[in-house]
Amino acid sequence: MTMLVLPSPREEAWRWADLDTLRTAAASASQVPGVDPKSLFLDIEGPRLLFVDGVFEPAHSMPGPVTLAEMALDTEHPLGKSALGEGWSLHVPAQGAVTHVQVVHIGSGGENHVPARVVLAEDAVASVVETYAGSGWANRLLHAELAHGSRLMRSVRLLQSEGFVSLRDEALVGAGASLVSVFLGAGGAGSRIDGAVTLVGKGAFAEMGGTLLTRGTQKQEAAVVLRHLETDGTSRQVWRAVAADRSAASLAARVDVARGAQKTDGEQSLRGLLLQRTATVNLKPELEIFADDVKCAHGATVGELDKRALFYLQSRGVDEPRAKALLTRAFVADALERIGEDEVRDAFIADADKWLEEAL
Amino acid sequence: MLKIENLHAEVDGKEILKGLTLSVNAGEVHAIMGPNGAGKSTLGYVLGGRPGYEVTGGSVSFDGQDLLELEPHERAAAGLFLGFQYPVEIPGISNVQFLREALNSQRRARDEAPLSGAEFLKLARAQAAALEMDAEMLKRPVNVGFSGGEKKRNEMVQMGILGPKLAVLDETDSGLDIDALRIVGEGINRIMRAPDKAVLLITHYQRLLDYVKPDFVHVLADGRIVRSGGPELALELEREGYGAVAA
Repeated sequence: MTMLVLPSPREEAWRWADLDTLRTAAASASQVPGVDPKSLFLDIEGPRLLFVDGVFEPAHSMPGPVTLAEMALDTEHPLGKSALGEGWSLHVPAQGAVTHVQVVHIGSGGENHVPARVVLAEDAVASVVETYAGSGWANRLLHAELAHGSRLMRSVRLLQSEGFVSLRDEALVGAGASLVSVFLGAGGAGSRIDGAVTLVGKGAFAEMGGTLLTRGTQKQEAAVVLRHLETDGTSRQVWRAVAADRSAASLAARVDVARGAQKTDGEQSLRGLLLQRTATVNLKPELEIFADDVKCAHGATVGELDKRALFYLQSRGVDEPRAKALLTRAFVADALERIGEDEVRDAFIADADKWLEEAL
Repeated sequence: MLKIENLHAEVDGKEILKGLTLSVNAGEVHAIMGPNGAGKSTLGYVLGGRPGYEVTGGSVSFDGQDLLELEPHERAAAGLFLGFQYPVEIPGISNVQFLREALNSQRRARDEAPLSGAEFLKLARAQAAALEMDAEMLKRPVNVGFSGGEKKRNEMVQMGILGPKLAVLDETDSGLDIDALRIVGEGINRIMRAPDKAVLLITHYQRLLDYVKPDFVHVLADGRIVRSGGPELALELEREGYGAVAA
């Protein structure tokens, strides 16, 4: 990339974005990442792909049914547009199943871009775990298409120690299909998780949620739009943000319900926890509903740890840092519990625990 | 075991305890009774070390240690148990997780080996059964959705699991129906009636004392112990009211 054109923070959709950190990460010099790729793959059977600085590393990969190809996915997204070049692609035929695909990205500085595509035919099943580590600016674009009755479980953990990770997901969810994406930001990098998920078939289910843990001067954010175009769709956005020190975590979640999308069931739960009063949590829940027979529950709250609960734990023998870690973990648990695979969920909870031990 | 001398404490700048003196020896059960606002709950919280309850004078020694120097979790590890008048609900943490964490934290602080999951569950199930609490409730988040009586019973299950030397029980009888009162009273006797243990029962009413017979009864009024006596004092209070007795 010779010229980096970024959105302006004056645009509403980008006002909380940490574009300065992105710029710095993009310009950062390459350094030895010092991350062992083996430690980033979970101990589960399945296809494995390693990208180092956006370049596929066959030596550490066993892609199985996942293919590698040059891609230029069509998008209007200002960051997603830059995600060109060689990427990975998973096509699962009707009634097929490809589970426990693991994609690990390690950055060593500078910018790297990888596009990805997941296409599930009727009643196909797939699950993907993505892990980001190292430094630099990792920029990703995912296109997902889920045909009738298919299911995709996607779990993404952001563990980069520094730099910036920007993810753009664009997905179409067909009739009776289910897309669940759960994110965990538990590293030291800035992040922007950007999603546009459209429920295009009757009775589709879409969920995008997760947990952002920030500390120091870190800024992480998620900006997600779920659009219901058809009837009987269900969507869930369960996000938890925990901010320590002078960091900021921001959640902007929108649900659009189109005119004909009757019997839509939408739920939006955005909750923030401030570990210190110098930290910031921004929440922006939005609903835009043009149908009249819909159920859209939404809640947005920011608070601190419950002092009574803290004393209760201490009075039973638990020291203060541990008590805070337990309460914070309990706070984020409902977002991570949406991960449907036990091993993956346990690994994500362990990452969150590690963050809590370091932050508290 | 517990020696409180001329204790003064304030909350939000307002003095609540105004020179309280009390000694509790091993093997004894003491009841502290008194009207609303006398400082009963404040005494419990000060002993437990709750932030915001500031000691401005006096001393408290527990087993020869300066209790007021210890952090709340250190007081627990030293053998103090505070039974809450309003046990706190903690969504997202199961009873089992909470209590195993608590017990093993205490054991580590005392240089004892932590209990394994299986050892702990056996202990927890036995204590729940003894207090007629459904073992399924151990898996539920701490106190969430529990009735007032269930919360109090859960406090006693916790006490049974943690095995303290001194229990300070703040209105453990409030919110209990007659059957639960008997179960909780018997639980206190079973867990705490021993030559090396002691109980400080903070209560409004005589009724819990029908089950847990105190050796001493004290009347707390306006931040001080104004009268002390044997179990007959509780009956006198019940009959004549605090006004007459504490005057």
